[in-house]
Amino acid sequence: MKDQWTERLSDYLDEEMATPEREALEAHLAACVECSTTLLELRRVVGRARALDDQPPATDLWPTIARRIGVETGRRRPVRRFTVSVPQLLAASIAVIIASGGTVWLAMSRRAGPLGQQPAATSTAAVARVSWTSDTRYDAAIVQLQSALEDGRKSGRLDSTTVRVVEHSLAIIDTAIAQARRALVLDPGSSYLNRHLAETMQRKIQLLRGAAALATART
Amino acid sequence: MLTTVAVLATLFVSQQTDTQVAVRPGTRLDVTNVGGAIIVRTWTQNAVRVHAEHSDRMAIQIVLDAAALTIKGSSRRGPPQEQEVNYTITAPRWMALNLSGVHSDVEVEGSEAPVTVETVNGDVKCRGGTGYISLQSVSGSIGLQQAKGRVEVHTVSDGITLTDVSGDITGETVSGEVRLEGIESGNVDISTVSGEVVYDGTIRDGGHYRFSTHNGDVIIAIPDKTNATISVSTFNGDFASSFPVSVTETKRHRFSFTIGSGSARVELATFNGDIKLRRPGHLHGDDDHDGDHDQDGDHEPTRPTPPTPRPTPPTPPTLPR
Repeated sequence: MKDQWTERLSDYLDEEMATPEREALEAHLAACVECSTTLLELRRVVGRARALDDQPPATDLWPTIARRIGVETGRRRPVRRFTVSVPQLLAASIAVIIASGGTVWLAMSRRAGPLGQQPAATSTAAVARVSWTSDTRYDAAIVQLQSALEDGRKSGRLDSTTVRVVEHSLAIIDTAIAQARRALVLDPGSSYLNRHLAETMQRKIQLLRGAAALATART
Repeated sequence: MLTTVAVLATLFVSQQTDTQVAVRPGTRLDVTNVGGAIIVRTWTQNAVRVHAEHSDRMAIQIVLDAAALTIKGSSRRGPPQEQEVNYTITAPRWMALNLSGVHSDVEVEGSEAPVTVETVNGDVKCRGGTGYISLQSVSGSIGLQQAKGRVEVHTVSDGITLTDVSGDITGETVSGEVRLEGIESGNVDISTVSGEVVYDGTIRDGGHYRFSTHNGDVIIAIPDKTNATISVSTFNGDFASSFPVSVTETKRHRFSFTIGSGSARVELATFNGDIKLRRPGHLHGDDDHDGDHDQDGDHEPTRPTPPTPRPTPPTPPTLPR
Protein backbone atom coordinates (compact mmCIF):
# COMPACT_ATOMS: atom_id res chain seq x y z
CA MET A 1 0.00 0.00 0.00
CA LYS A 2 1.34 3.42 -0.93
CA ASP A 3 0.77 6.72 0.77
CA GLN A 4 1.86 10.27 0.11
CA TRP A 5 5.25 9.64 1.61
CA THR A 6 6.15 6.49 -0.25
CA GLU A 7 7.51 8.39 -3.23
CA ARG A 8 9.66 10.55 -0.98
CA LEU A 9 11.56 7.81 0.77
CA SER A 10 14.28 7.88 -1.84
CA ASP A 11 14.81 11.61 -1.30
CA TYR A 12 14.89 11.00 2.42
CA LEU A 13 17.56 8.37 2.02
CA ASP A 14 19.59 10.69 -0.15
CA GLU A 15 19.25 13.42 2.47
CA GLU A 16 17.70 15.73 -0.09
CA MET A 17 14.76 16.86 2.02
CA ALA A 18 14.32 20.20 3.69
CA THR A 19 14.27 20.01 7.46
CA PRO A 20 10.51 20.59 7.96
CA GLU A 21 9.64 17.99 5.37
CA ARG A 22 12.16 15.55 6.79
CA GLU A 23 10.72 15.99 10.25
CA ALA A 24 7.22 15.47 8.92
CA LEU A 25 8.31 12.29 7.22
CA GLU A 26 10.07 11.08 10.34
CA ALA A 27 6.89 11.67 12.30
CA HIS A 28 5.03 9.67 9.70
CA LEU A 29 7.62 6.90 9.83
CA ALA A 30 7.07 6.64 13.54
CA ALA A 31 3.45 5.78 12.97
CA CYS A 32 3.61 3.85 9.71
CA VAL A 33 5.12 0.40 9.94
CA GLU A 34 4.85 -0.08 6.17
CA CYS A 35 6.88 3.01 5.35
CA SER A 36 9.44 2.37 8.06
CA THR A 37 9.84 -1.20 6.87
CA THR A 38 10.13 -0.09 3.28
CA LEU A 39 12.69 2.49 4.28
CA LEU A 40 14.69 -0.15 6.09
CA GLU A 41 14.78 -2.35 3.02
CA LEU A 42 15.63 0.55 0.76
CA ARG A 43 18.48 1.46 3.05
CA ARG A 44 19.82 -2.05 2.70
CA VAL A 45 19.50 -1.94 -1.07
CA VAL A 46 21.39 1.31 -1.23
CA GLY A 47 24.00 -0.03 1.16
CA ARG A 48 24.54 -3.02 -1.05
CA ALA A 49 24.60 -0.90 -4.17
CA ARG A 50 27.29 1.27 -2.62
CA ALA A 51 29.32 -1.83 -2.01
CA LEU A 52 29.41 -2.71 -5.69
CA ASP A 53 32.60 -2.08 -7.57
CA ASP A 54 32.25 0.91 -9.83
CA GLN A 55 34.68 -0.33 -12.40
CA PRO A 56 35.49 1.80 -15.41
CA PRO A 57 34.76 0.34 -18.84
CA ALA A 58 37.58 -1.55 -20.49
CA THR A 59 37.54 0.99 -23.32
CA ASP A 60 36.62 4.59 -22.68
CA LEU A 61 34.84 5.83 -25.80
CA TRP A 62 34.32 9.35 -24.51
CA PRO A 63 37.66 10.92 -25.57
CA THR A 64 37.08 9.96 -29.20
CA ILE A 65 33.49 11.15 -29.15
CA ALA A 66 34.50 14.36 -27.44
CA ARG A 67 37.13 15.10 -30.06
CA ARG A 68 34.60 14.62 -32.85
CA ILE A 69 32.03 16.91 -31.34
CA GLY A 70 34.59 19.41 -30.18
CA VAL A 71 34.06 19.06 -26.46
CA GLU A 72 36.73 19.36 -23.82
CA THR A 73 37.84 15.89 -22.67
CA GLY A 74 39.14 16.71 -19.26
CA ARG A 75 35.96 15.82 -17.42
CA ARG A 76 35.90 13.34 -14.62
CA ARG A 77 33.64 10.38 -14.64
CA PRO A 78 30.49 11.25 -12.77
CA VAL A 79 30.20 9.96 -9.26
CA ARG A 80 27.83 7.05 -9.10
CA ARG A 81 24.56 7.86 -7.42
CA PHE A 82 22.08 5.38 -6.21
CA THR A 83 18.88 7.32 -6.43
CA VAL A 84 16.15 5.19 -7.93
CA SER A 85 12.41 5.42 -7.96
CA VAL A 86 10.42 3.91 -5.16
CA PRO A 87 8.88 1.21 -7.37
CA GLN A 88 12.39 0.24 -8.41
CA LEU A 89 13.51 0.28 -4.83
CA LEU A 90 10.56 -1.78 -3.70
CA ALA A 91 11.32 -4.35 -6.34
CA ALA A 92 14.97 -4.26 -5.40
CA SER A 93 14.18 -4.55 -1.74
CA ILE A 94 12.20 -7.70 -2.37
CA ALA A 95 15.16 -8.98 -4.34
CA VAL A 96 17.41 -8.18 -1.43
CA ILE A 97 15.11 -9.99 0.95
CA ILE A 98 15.22 -12.99 -1.30
CA ALA A 99 18.95 -12.77 -1.73
CA SER A 100 19.83 -11.99 1.84
CA GLY A 101 17.35 -13.95 3.84
CA GLY A 102 19.81 -13.89 6.67
CA THR A 103 19.81 -17.61 6.85
CA VAL A 104 21.98 -20.24 5.42
CA TRP A 105 19.11 -22.50 4.57
CA LEU A 106 17.61 -20.62 1.73
CA ALA A 107 20.96 -20.38 0.06
CA MET A 108 21.59 -24.03 0.67
CA SER A 109 18.22 -25.05 -0.65
CA ARG A 110 19.04 -23.38 -3.94
CA ARG A 111 22.06 -25.53 -4.40
CA ALA A 112 22.61 -29.05 -5.31
CA GLY A 113 24.20 -30.74 -2.39
CA PRO A 114 23.24 -32.42 0.81
CA LEU A 115 20.23 -30.22 1.16
CA GLY A 116 19.29 -30.39 -2.49
CA GLN A 117 16.99 -28.06 -4.34
CA GLN A 118 13.35 -28.22 -3.47
CA PRO A 119 10.90 -25.98 -5.30
CA ALA A 120 8.38 -26.77 -2.59
CA ALA A 121 10.16 -24.31 -0.36
CA THR A 122 9.51 -21.50 -2.79
CA SER A 123 5.86 -21.14 -1.98
CA THR A 124 6.44 -20.53 1.68
CA ALA A 125 9.33 -18.24 0.93
CA ALA A 126 7.21 -16.25 -1.48
CA VAL A 127 4.57 -15.77 1.16
CA ALA A 128 7.20 -14.65 3.62
CA ARG A 129 8.78 -12.07 1.36
CA VAL A 130 6.14 -9.44 1.82
CA SER A 131 4.15 -10.55 4.77
CA TRP A 132 5.47 -8.56 7.68
CA THR A 133 4.00 -5.38 6.27
CA SER A 134 0.68 -5.90 7.95
CA ASP A 135 -0.10 -7.88 11.04
CA THR A 136 -2.75 -10.02 9.38
CA ARG A 137 -0.55 -11.09 6.54
CA TYR A 138 2.39 -11.36 8.85
CA ASP A 139 0.51 -13.64 11.20
CA ALA A 140 -0.69 -15.75 8.29
CA ALA A 141 2.84 -16.12 7.01
CA ILE A 142 4.06 -17.07 10.47
CA VAL A 143 1.39 -19.74 10.78
CA GLN A 144 2.21 -21.16 7.37
CA LEU A 145 5.95 -21.22 8.00
CA GLN A 146 5.54 -22.71 11.44
CA SER A 147 3.41 -25.40 9.90
CA ALA A 148 6.19 -26.20 7.44
CA LEU A 149 8.64 -26.31 10.32
CA GLU A 150 6.36 -28.65 12.23
CA ASP A 151 6.04 -30.89 9.20
CA GLY A 152 9.81 -31.03 8.97
CA ARG A 153 10.06 -31.99 12.59
CA LYS A 154 7.42 -34.71 12.37
CA SER A 155 8.84 -36.17 9.21
CA GLY A 156 12.34 -36.21 10.63
CA ARG A 157 13.71 -34.08 7.82
CA LEU A 158 14.86 -31.61 10.45
CA ASP A 159 17.10 -33.20 13.03
CA SER A 160 16.42 -32.55 16.70
CA THR A 161 19.44 -30.31 17.16
CA THR A 162 18.38 -27.98 14.39
CA VAL A 163 14.80 -27.91 15.63
CA ARG A 164 16.03 -27.04 19.11
CA VAL A 165 18.18 -24.24 17.78
CA VAL A 166 15.36 -22.83 15.68
CA GLU A 167 12.88 -22.98 18.56
CA HIS A 168 15.37 -21.37 20.92
CA SER A 169 16.05 -18.59 18.43
CA LEU A 170 12.34 -18.08 17.77
CA ALA A 171 11.75 -17.76 21.50
CA ILE A 172 14.43 -15.08 21.71
CA ILE A 173 12.92 -13.19 18.80
CA ASP A 174 9.40 -13.54 20.22
CA THR A 175 10.60 -12.10 23.50
CA ALA A 176 12.16 -9.20 21.63
CA ILE A 177 8.98 -8.62 19.62
CA ALA A 178 6.84 -8.69 22.75
CA GLN A 179 9.12 -6.20 24.48
CA ALA A 180 9.17 -3.90 21.50
CA ARG A 181 5.38 -4.03 21.26
CA ARG A 182 5.02 -3.22 24.94
CA ALA A 183 7.41 -0.35 24.53
CA LEU A 184 5.40 0.97 21.60
CA VAL A 185 2.30 1.02 23.75
CA LEU A 186 4.16 3.35 26.07
CA ASP A 187 5.65 5.39 23.27
CA PRO A 188 3.77 4.87 20.01
CA GLY A 189 5.46 7.81 18.33
CA SER A 190 9.00 6.49 18.57
CA SER A 191 10.50 6.01 15.14
CA TYR A 192 13.24 3.90 16.69
CA LEU A 193 10.76 1.51 18.31
CA ASN A 194 8.68 1.22 15.15
CA ARG A 195 11.71 0.45 13.10
CA HIS A 196 13.09 -1.94 15.67
CA LEU A 197 9.82 -3.84 15.84
CA ALA A 198 9.62 -4.07 12.06
CA GLU A 199 13.17 -5.35 11.86
CA THR A 200 12.65 -7.93 14.55
CA MET A 201 9.43 -9.17 12.98
CA GLN A 202 11.21 -9.40 9.68
CA ARG A 203 13.95 -11.40 11.29
CA LYS A 204 11.43 -13.91 12.59
CA ILE A 205 10.07 -14.32 9.08
CA GLN A 206 13.57 -14.87 7.76
CA LEU A 207 14.36 -17.45 10.39
CA LEU A 208 11.15 -19.34 9.84
CA ARG A 209 11.47 -19.14 6.11
CA GLY A 210 14.92 -20.60 6.32
CA ALA A 211 13.78 -23.37 8.62
CA ALA A 212 10.84 -24.15 6.34
CA ALA A 213 13.12 -24.29 3.34
CA LEU A 214 15.43 -26.60 5.20
CA ALA A 215 12.54 -28.78 6.30
CA THR A 216 11.43 -29.26 2.74
CA ALA A 217 14.92 -29.60 1.38
CA ARG A 218 16.56 -32.03 3.72
CA THR A 219 16.60 -35.64 2.66
CA MET B 1 28.40 -52.66 26.24
CA LEU B 2 31.51 -54.42 24.98
CA THR B 3 29.37 -56.45 22.64
CA THR B 4 27.83 -53.32 21.23
CA VAL B 5 31.20 -51.75 20.65
CA ALA B 6 32.48 -54.85 18.95
CA VAL B 7 29.49 -54.96 16.62
CA LEU B 8 29.85 -51.29 15.73
CA ALA B 9 33.52 -51.79 15.07
CA THR B 10 32.76 -54.43 12.52
CA LEU B 11 30.11 -52.29 10.88
CA PHE B 12 32.19 -49.14 10.56
CA VAL B 13 35.53 -50.13 9.21
CA SER B 14 37.61 -47.03 8.93
CA GLN B 15 39.01 -46.24 5.55
CA GLN B 16 41.16 -43.51 4.10
CA THR B 17 41.20 -41.85 0.73
CA ASP B 18 44.34 -39.98 -0.17
CA THR B 19 44.87 -38.65 -3.63
CA GLN B 20 46.16 -35.63 -5.51
CA VAL B 21 44.68 -33.89 -8.55
CA ALA B 22 46.42 -31.30 -10.73
CA VAL B 23 44.32 -28.19 -11.37
CA ARG B 24 44.61 -25.18 -13.62
CA PRO B 25 44.50 -21.63 -12.29
CA GLY B 26 40.89 -20.44 -12.12
CA THR B 27 39.48 -23.79 -11.14
CA ARG B 28 37.08 -23.67 -8.17
CA LEU B 29 36.96 -26.19 -5.36
CA ASP B 30 33.50 -27.47 -4.44
CA VAL B 31 33.19 -29.71 -1.40
CA THR B 32 29.94 -31.14 -0.07
CA ASN B 33 29.74 -33.10 3.15
CA VAL B 34 26.80 -34.43 5.14
CA GLY B 35 28.70 -35.08 8.35
CA GLY B 36 32.27 -34.59 9.43
CA ALA B 37 34.80 -31.83 9.24
CA ILE B 38 36.06 -29.99 6.19
CA ILE B 39 39.54 -28.62 6.72
CA VAL B 40 41.19 -26.76 3.87
CA ARG B 41 44.85 -25.77 3.97
CA THR B 42 46.69 -24.02 1.18
CA TRP B 43 49.98 -24.35 -0.64
CA THR B 44 51.72 -22.97 -3.71
CA GLN B 45 51.31 -26.02 -5.92
CA ASN B 46 48.72 -26.12 -8.72
CA ALA B 47 47.24 -29.27 -7.30
CA VAL B 48 44.67 -30.36 -4.76
CA ARG B 49 45.45 -33.06 -2.29
CA VAL B 50 42.43 -34.81 -0.81
CA HIS B 51 42.75 -36.76 2.39
CA ALA B 52 39.46 -38.21 3.62
CA GLU B 53 38.68 -40.51 6.50
CA HIS B 54 35.43 -42.40 6.28
CA SER B 55 33.78 -45.77 6.72
CA ASP B 56 34.12 -48.45 4.11
CA ARG B 57 30.50 -47.86 3.20
CA MET B 58 31.37 -44.45 1.78
CA ALA B 59 33.03 -43.68 -1.49
CA ILE B 60 34.67 -40.35 -2.24
CA GLN B 61 33.83 -38.87 -5.61
CA ILE B 62 36.31 -36.45 -7.10
CA VAL B 63 35.32 -34.89 -10.39
CA LEU B 64 37.34 -32.32 -12.30
CA ASP B 65 35.82 -30.27 -15.07
CA ALA B 66 36.70 -26.97 -16.71
CA ALA B 67 35.21 -24.89 -13.92
CA ALA B 68 35.58 -26.84 -10.71
CA LEU B 69 37.01 -29.73 -8.82
CA THR B 70 34.04 -31.30 -7.06
CA ILE B 71 34.47 -33.52 -4.03
CA LYS B 72 31.69 -35.35 -2.25
CA GLY B 73 31.02 -38.58 -0.51
CA SER B 74 28.45 -41.08 -1.63
CA SER B 75 26.99 -43.79 0.55
CA ARG B 76 26.98 -47.25 -0.94
CA ARG B 77 24.44 -48.27 1.67
CA GLY B 78 23.54 -47.61 5.25
CA PRO B 79 21.91 -44.88 7.30
CA PRO B 80 22.94 -41.22 7.18
CA GLN B 81 24.96 -41.43 10.39
CA GLU B 82 27.41 -43.64 8.55
CA GLN B 83 27.98 -40.92 5.97
CA GLU B 84 30.55 -39.08 8.02
CA VAL B 85 33.64 -38.05 6.16
CA ASN B 86 36.45 -36.02 7.65
CA TYR B 87 38.27 -34.11 4.93
CA THR B 88 41.67 -32.54 5.09
CA ILE B 89 42.24 -30.86 1.76
CA THR B 90 45.25 -28.92 0.59
CA ALA B 91 44.47 -26.51 -2.24
CA PRO B 92 46.29 -23.77 -4.13
CA ARG B 93 46.06 -20.38 -2.46
CA TRP B 94 44.46 -18.87 -5.56
CA MET B 95 41.66 -21.43 -5.62
CA ALA B 96 38.13 -20.19 -4.89
CA LEU B 97 36.53 -22.35 -2.22
CA ASN B 98 32.92 -23.38 -2.07
CA LEU B 99 32.38 -25.60 0.96
CA SER B 100 29.08 -26.88 2.28
CA GLY B 101 28.13 -29.26 5.03
CA VAL B 102 25.25 -30.26 7.24
CA HIS B 103 26.79 -31.56 10.45
CA SER B 104 30.19 -30.13 9.67
CA ASP B 105 32.76 -27.90 11.25
CA VAL B 106 34.57 -26.06 8.49
CA GLU B 107 38.06 -24.61 8.71
CA VAL B 108 39.99 -22.68 6.07
CA GLU B 109 43.59 -21.62 6.45
CA GLY B 110 45.61 -19.31 4.22
CA SER B 111 43.27 -18.75 1.29
CA GLU B 112 43.91 -15.84 -1.06
CA ALA B 113 40.70 -16.32 -3.01
CA PRO B 114 36.92 -16.03 -2.59
CA VAL B 115 35.53 -18.32 0.08
CA THR B 116 31.96 -19.52 0.50
CA VAL B 117 31.08 -21.74 3.46
CA GLU B 118 27.63 -22.99 4.43
CA THR B 119 26.93 -25.41 7.20
CA VAL B 120 23.92 -26.19 9.38
CA ASN B 121 25.38 -27.58 12.58
CA GLY B 122 28.98 -26.58 12.92
CA ASP B 123 31.51 -23.86 13.52
CA VAL B 124 33.18 -21.99 10.69
CA LYS B 125 36.73 -20.72 11.04
CA CYS B 126 38.49 -18.96 8.21
CA ARG B 127 41.88 -17.36 8.17
CA GLY B 128 42.44 -15.54 4.90
CA GLY B 129 40.22 -15.02 1.92
CA THR B 130 40.10 -12.35 -0.76
CA GLY B 131 37.14 -11.08 -2.75
CA TYR B 132 33.67 -12.28 -1.91
CA ILE B 133 33.68 -14.11 1.42
CA SER B 134 30.46 -15.63 2.68
CA LEU B 135 30.44 -17.69 5.86
CA GLN B 136 27.15 -19.09 7.12
CA SER B 137 26.00 -21.47 9.77
CA VAL B 138 22.79 -22.15 11.65
CA SER B 139 24.07 -23.58 14.87
CA GLY B 140 27.68 -22.62 15.14
CA SER B 141 30.07 -19.77 15.55
CA ILE B 142 31.67 -17.82 12.75
CA GLY B 143 35.28 -16.70 12.94
CA LEU B 144 37.09 -14.80 10.21
CA GLN B 145 40.61 -13.41 10.32
CA GLN B 146 42.93 -11.65 7.93
CA ALA B 147 40.47 -11.43 5.07
CA LYS B 148 39.97 -8.77 2.45
CA GLY B 149 36.94 -8.19 0.28
CA ARG B 150 33.19 -8.17 0.59
CA VAL B 151 32.32 -10.12 3.72
CA GLU B 152 28.94 -11.60 4.61
CA VAL B 153 28.67 -13.63 7.81
CA HIS B 154 25.47 -15.14 9.13
CA THR B 155 24.64 -17.54 11.88
CA VAL B 156 21.60 -18.10 14.05
CA SER B 157 22.67 -19.55 17.32
CA ASP B 158 26.19 -18.46 18.14
CA GLY B 159 28.60 -15.58 17.95
CA ILE B 160 30.55 -13.90 15.20
CA THR B 161 34.15 -12.79 15.49
CA LEU B 162 35.96 -10.84 12.78
CA THR B 163 39.57 -9.85 13.28
CA ASP B 164 41.83 -7.92 10.92
CA VAL B 165 39.31 -7.84 8.11
CA SER B 166 39.07 -5.16 5.43
CA GLY B 167 36.19 -4.46 3.09
CA ASP B 168 32.43 -4.13 3.23
CA ILE B 169 30.95 -6.22 6.02
CA THR B 170 27.49 -7.55 6.72
CA GLY B 171 26.95 -9.72 9.79
CA GLU B 172 23.91 -11.12 11.51
CA THR B 173 23.03 -13.59 14.24
CA VAL B 174 20.08 -14.15 16.55
CA SER B 175 21.73 -15.42 19.68
CA GLY B 176 25.33 -14.49 20.12
CA GLU B 177 27.69 -11.60 20.44
CA VAL B 178 29.37 -9.98 17.47
CA ARG B 179 32.93 -8.78 17.82
CA LEU B 180 34.81 -6.93 15.11
CA GLU B 181 38.35 -5.85 15.80
CA GLY B 182 41.09 -4.54 13.54
CA ILE B 183 38.52 -3.69 10.87
CA GLU B 184 39.18 -1.45 7.86
CA SER B 185 35.89 -0.72 6.21
CA GLY B 186 33.64 2.02 4.91
CA ASN B 187 30.49 -0.05 5.05
CA VAL B 188 29.53 -2.18 8.04
CA ASP B 189 26.10 -3.54 8.93
CA ILE B 190 25.92 -5.71 12.04
CA SER B 191 22.94 -6.94 14.00
CA THR B 192 22.06 -9.50 16.63
CA VAL B 193 19.00 -10.03 18.79
CA SER B 194 20.61 -11.29 21.95
CA GLY B 195 24.23 -10.39 22.38
CA GLU B 196 26.76 -7.64 22.68
CA VAL B 197 28.11 -5.83 19.63
CA VAL B 198 31.71 -4.64 19.70
CA TYR B 199 33.45 -2.73 16.92
CA ASP B 200 37.01 -1.50 16.80
CA GLY B 201 37.96 -0.30 13.37
CA THR B 202 37.99 2.54 10.93
CA ILE B 203 35.23 5.13 10.61
CA ARG B 204 35.89 6.42 7.12
CA ASP B 205 34.65 9.69 5.69
CA GLY B 206 31.48 8.99 3.74
CA GLY B 207 31.20 5.54 5.24
CA HIS B 208 28.06 3.89 6.57
CA TYR B 209 28.10 1.94 9.82
CA ARG B 210 25.18 0.32 11.54
CA PHE B 211 25.32 -1.72 14.73
CA SER B 212 22.19 -2.97 16.45
CA THR B 213 21.10 -5.46 19.07
CA HIS B 214 18.00 -6.05 21.16
CA ASN B 215 19.62 -7.39 24.31
CA GLY B 216 23.15 -6.27 24.88
CA ASP B 217 25.57 -3.40 24.86
CA VAL B 218 26.90 -1.74 21.76
CA ILE B 219 30.53 -0.78 22.27
CA ILE B 220 32.21 1.15 19.50
CA ALA B 221 35.70 2.55 19.17
CA ILE B 222 35.76 5.99 17.61
CA PRO B 223 39.24 6.87 16.37
CA ASP B 224 40.64 10.31 16.98
CA LYS B 225 39.94 12.78 14.14
CA THR B 226 36.89 10.86 13.04
CA ASN B 227 34.33 12.74 10.95
CA ALA B 228 30.98 11.19 11.69
CA THR B 229 27.34 11.85 12.42
CA ILE B 230 26.43 9.39 15.13
CA SER B 231 22.86 8.38 15.82
CA VAL B 232 22.18 6.69 19.16
CA SER B 233 18.96 4.80 19.93
CA THR B 234 18.22 2.91 23.12
CA PHE B 235 14.96 2.20 24.88
CA ASN B 236 16.22 0.75 28.08
CA GLY B 237 19.83 1.66 28.55
CA ASP B 238 22.42 4.33 29.05
CA PHE B 239 24.85 6.15 26.84
CA ALA B 240 28.44 6.72 27.84
CA SER B 241 31.39 8.12 26.01
CA SER B 242 35.01 8.18 27.09
CA PHE B 243 35.40 11.50 25.30
CA PRO B 244 33.22 14.62 25.17
CA VAL B 245 30.38 14.75 22.69
CA SER B 246 27.95 17.53 21.91
CA VAL B 247 24.42 16.40 21.12
CA THR B 248 22.84 18.23 18.20
CA GLU B 249 19.47 16.56 17.93
CA THR B 250 17.44 14.82 20.61
CA LYS B 251 14.29 12.81 20.21
CA ARG B 252 12.59 10.32 22.40
CA HIS B 253 14.80 7.24 22.72
CA ARG B 254 17.14 8.70 20.14
CA PHE B 255 19.69 11.43 19.78
CA SER B 256 22.50 12.26 17.47
CA PHE B 257 25.68 14.23 17.46
CA THR B 258 28.44 15.16 15.09
CA ILE B 259 32.15 14.60 15.35
CA GLY B 260 34.39 16.59 13.02
CA SER B 261 32.71 17.23 9.68
CA GLY B 262 30.12 14.52 10.28
CA SER B 263 30.91 12.86 6.98
CA ALA B 264 30.38 9.24 7.98
CA ARG B 265 27.00 7.92 9.15
CA VAL B 266 27.08 5.76 12.27
CA GLU B 267 23.89 4.22 13.67
CA LEU B 268 24.02 2.60 17.10
CA ALA B 269 20.93 0.95 18.52
CA THR B 270 20.07 -1.34 21.41
CA PHE B 271 16.71 -1.93 23.03
CA ASN B 272 18.01 -3.35 26.31
CA GLY B 273 21.57 -2.28 26.79
CA ASP B 274 24.07 0.49 26.95
CA ILE B 275 25.80 2.26 24.12
CA LYS B 276 29.42 3.05 24.82
CA LEU B 277 31.87 5.03 22.77
CA ARG B 278 35.51 4.33 23.39
CA ARG B 279 38.86 5.11 21.89
CA PRO B 280 40.57 2.40 19.86
CA GLY B 281 42.30 -0.15 22.03
CA HIS B 282 40.24 0.81 25.08
CA LEU B 283 36.99 -0.95 24.41
CA HIS B 284 36.67 -2.36 27.88
CA GLY B 285 37.20 0.82 29.84
CA ASP B 286 35.46 1.11 33.20
CA ASP B 287 32.68 3.68 33.08
CA ASP B 288 33.49 4.85 36.58
CA HIS B 289 37.16 5.37 36.10
CA ASP B 290 37.99 6.40 32.59
CA GLY B 291 36.28 9.74 32.55
CA ASP B 292 33.12 8.94 30.67
CA HIS B 293 31.25 11.85 29.21
CA ASP B 294 27.56 11.99 28.75
CA GLN B 295 25.79 14.26 26.30
CA ASP B 296 26.24 17.22 28.60
CA GLY B 297 29.90 16.56 29.09
CA ASP B 298 29.56 16.44 32.85
CA HIS B 299 31.30 13.09 33.20
CA GLU B 300 28.14 11.43 34.42
CA PRO B 301 26.80 8.66 32.27
CA THR B 302 23.19 9.58 31.66
CA ARG B 303 20.12 8.22 30.00
CA PRO B 304 19.68 10.02 26.69
CA THR B 305 15.90 10.05 26.95
CA PRO B 306 13.39 11.05 29.58
CA PRO B 307 12.68 8.37 32.16
CA THR B 308 10.50 5.65 30.76
CA PRO B 309 8.77 2.79 32.56
CA ARG B 310 11.02 -0.15 32.01
CA PRO B 311 9.75 -3.49 30.82
CA THR B 312 10.68 -6.62 32.66
CA PRO B 313 14.36 -7.34 32.06
CA PRO B 314 14.79 -9.86 29.28
CA THR B 315 15.31 -13.44 30.22
CA PRO B 316 16.17 -15.31 27.06
CA PRO B 317 15.12 -18.93 27.25
CA THR B 318 17.79 -21.46 27.97
CA LEU B 319 18.76 -23.69 25.13
CA PRO B 320 18.01 -27.24 26.15
CA ARG B 321 20.98 -29.52 25.90
